[in-house]
Amino acid sequence: MTIETRTICKRCVLPESRPDVWLDAEGVCNICRTYDQQKDGRSRTKLLESDFVKILSQHKSKGKYDCLVMCSGGKDSTAALYYMKKRYKLNPLAFTFDHGFETEGALENIRNAVEILGIDFLFFKSDFMKEMFLEIVKTDEKVALCHPCSIWYMGLTFEMAARYDIPLIVAGWTRGQVSQQPLASRCADKVHGSEFISMSGATQAFLDKYTRQNPKYKDFPKSMEEVVRLAGKRHKATVVSPHWFLPTDSGEYVELLQKELKWKFPPQSYPGASTNCSLNFLSVHNAMRHFGYTHYHVEMSKMIRESLLSRQEALKLLEINFGDEVLRDVMQKLSRAGGK
Amino acid sequence: MNVLGISCHFHDAAACLIRNGKIIVAVQEERFTRQKNTSSFPINAVNYCVQGGGITFDDIDCVAFYEKPFLKFSRFVIDHLRAWPFSCENFLQTTPHWLQDRLILPLTLEKEIGFKGRVFFVKHHLAHAASAFLVSPFEEAAILTGDAVGEWATMTYGQGRGQNIRIRKEIHYPNSLGLVYTALTTYLGYAAHEGEGTVMALASCGKPRYLDQLRAIVKVNADGSHVIDERYFGFNKGAKMYSRSLVKMFGSERMPGDKVEERHCDIAASLQKFTEETLLTITRHVRRETKLDKICLGGGLFLNCVANSKILEDGAFKEIFIQPAAGDSGGALGAAAYAQHCILKNPREHAMRDAYLGPDYSDALIQRLLLNHNMAFDAYTDDALSVSVAQMIADNKVVGWFQGKMEFGPRALGNRSILGNPCHPHMKELLNDKVKRREPFRPYAPMVLEESAHEFFELSVASPFMLLAPKVREDKKSVIPGVVHVDGTARVQTVGKAANPKLWQLIKDFEGITGVPIVINTSFNLRGEPIVCSPEDAIASFRRSAMDHLVLGNFIIGRQG
Repeated sequence: MTIETRTICKRCVLPESRPDVWLDAEGVCNICRTYDQQKDGRSRTKLLESDFVKILSQHKSKGKYDCLVMCSGGKDSTAALYYMKKRYKLNPLAFTFDHGFETEGALENIRNAVEILGIDFLFFKSDFMKEMFLEIVKTDEKVALCHPCSIWYMGLTFEMAARYDIPLIVAGWTRGQVSQQPLASRCADKVHGSEFISMSGATQAFLDKYTRQNPKYKDFPKSMEEVVRLAGKRHKATVVSPHWFLPTDSGEYVELLQKELKWKFPPQSYPGASTNCSLNFLSVHNAMRHFGYTHYHVEMSKMIRESLLSRQEALKLLEINFGDEVLRDVMQKLSRAGGK
Repeated sequence: MNVLGISCHFHDAAACLIRNGKIIVAVQEERFTRQKNTSSFPINAVNYCVQGGGITFDDIDCVAFYEKPFLKFSRFVIDHLRAWPFSCENFLQTTPHWLQDRLILPLTLEKEIGFKGRVFFVKHHLAHAASAFLVSPFEEAAILTGDAVGEWATMTYGQGRGQNIRIRKEIHYPNSLGLVYTALTTYLGYAAHEGEGTVMALASCGKPRYLDQLRAIVKVNADGSHVIDERYFGFNKGAKMYSRSLVKMFGSERMPGDKVEERHCDIAASLQKFTEETLLTITRHVRRETKLDKICLGGGLFLNCVANSKILEDGAFKEIFIQPAAGDSGGALGAAAYAQHCILKNPREHAMRDAYLGPDYSDALIQRLLLNHNMAFDAYTDDALSVSVAQMIADNKVVGWFQGKMEFGPRALGNRSILGNPCHPHMKELLNDKVKRREPFRPYAPMVLEESAHEFFELSVASPFMLLAPKVREDKKSVIPGVVHVDGTARVQTVGKAANPKLWQLIKDFEGITGVPIVINTSFNLRGEPIVCSPEDAIASFRRSAMDHLVLGNFIIGRQG
């Protein structure tokens, strides 16, 4: 596996990747410079836990469940589930989507969490996306596999929220992923600023073309904005993450989850200290080849700017920790599934 | 039982969490918003109380507020009607604040934190009394409170026993020693609720030549109660707290930034002397009435460490307790303590031994920040850090010292402090040049090992909250010139090993190098800013000043960083 080495910003972990990310004479990227310019205004609008409490009280459920928690089995979403049940004493419904590449470790984490917390659990497994994934890989499209996947997962989540009349969707997104309100309209592509323009543009271009040609995917949303727009017509649900509001360091809640929910890190996942699906290896590999960075680089760079992570920690977590053998395994699994 | 105390809407907004009688968290809102003396609802402080206290918002059993808003509003209306039409402008400006914030606290609590439980409104001076007595180490004591004004009361006295407080007498608005002090502070060109300490320092530079005039406009009775001549003041008529009559009596007022003249020093000296005299008359009366030999003092008036020392030296009371947030921020603590003990009848078991009740930050987090700020640093063990910093101070370096939990109250007490060498004759000028930019007449305070305090100061009791200003012993004045004020006193903080072992060790190591168990302590902030709260604040202040070293936890950052 060979990935071109690029010069990395001296402040964050984004590499130079024109036209979206470029470094100035001091070796600092345009995203960090923009952050500096806007810093004063941002510090005044820091989100507090009481803001989260306000959102919870504004979205009182009339039905059985207070919130729908998107649960992948990773540390952040499991912590979100834990907080909703234990800290905010709500009645959440856990929802997991498996496109066929979730790891056994992640699924075990979810099973343990819902069992110990006594939470109702919706598990949706489908091969629906595999054909699209295979097309992206076979044609070497400049699309991060995670993007269409997250679009579909979000759409499904809105559907589930509508079905159970749940006004609040809770995700485990960190402050590096999303942190601003209005919430739902900001949960993925195009919303992070210039570091995502090429990536999200490529995804949208691919989806425009592919869904037109393939009747199976004719109703597939082209972007996260479309998901939100369509969802709003049927059932308005607010999307929020407790991690935007709580000062708790991930190390602290990992310790809590390990102790109380038998939560475990998987043997291998990218980036380090994560619990991502096996298809993610392929997605990361493609994103690195095409763009020089992944959405994890964007997330961690944002966390560095907010001092939630040190640059050294981020660089260590982002080191490629898998080889060609892992990619071959995932490809084989994908090919088998696509061939069905 | 979790009781959340809140003070806000006027100045020094704060929140405090008391759990089963023990103070868990207490913190001022200004430290988070970075707006000095902010009056806004302390939403950041409340969030920290919940998170720092390890509870959820649902775990708050009741909220206690540090005044009775409707009673205060009645004073506001009556007072403005009395002064109508001159109070019209002030009335129109202020009324919306009452309607939007001050009268609707339960609604604010529900809106801001989803709290719908019991809210106790504790009279302002009762909250001060509670903050002074209920957290004191005394089983029984006299209590004296004084500030500008609460609802109607401006000064009260009474006594506390066990978990009960009885207020015996009150002096009511507009007769207020605190308001007179604040009015003259503004007359002298310093900000209300902020510049009183500066006036106290200025007082030492002058002679009390205007004492007779002050006695003429504030009549003090034999028991210390006092009546002000309202013709000289204008508490409700607009921008100024004093009238033209006062300007006629004392001469033209000083504008902020104007040169300080001898006349200004003399007026400050007269005001300070008058305040001390009046307080001594009152405390002697309180002693006679209560027959108790211990006293607890609360309210902003008792942040005046010079007057406090006079009360102690007077001997009417053998022991004195003043909690570190004696001003309105301490109202949050007082209200919570009053609810906990006097309303809910939980016994008193915990005395306030230190003021370290705010946020702290781990070394891991500090290291991450330093790395992200590209700052060069060295990591030390506790012992090595102490020796190294002591040596820096001995070498006349100015050191920003950021450790552990932030202090509650207006004073930095060794966890958010800037440290210097008291033996250096020009350390005051050095500190002013490098960081503080203070008026040259303002002194810097010493932190002394508790066990050595009496060797250097005429001080027979501990002063852990820097609220006493004893005389420096004559033979020691030349040893510690950096902390001796022009009147030969010093604003002393005594440091006990149990209360702050890291700070105690640092001073001990400094003594090992210099033979002097004292370092200079001034609050870690730049002029006009609140004391730093987080490592980010400390780094920002360090970068904007000429401090030589910054010590964050166990990391030392040099100027080259």
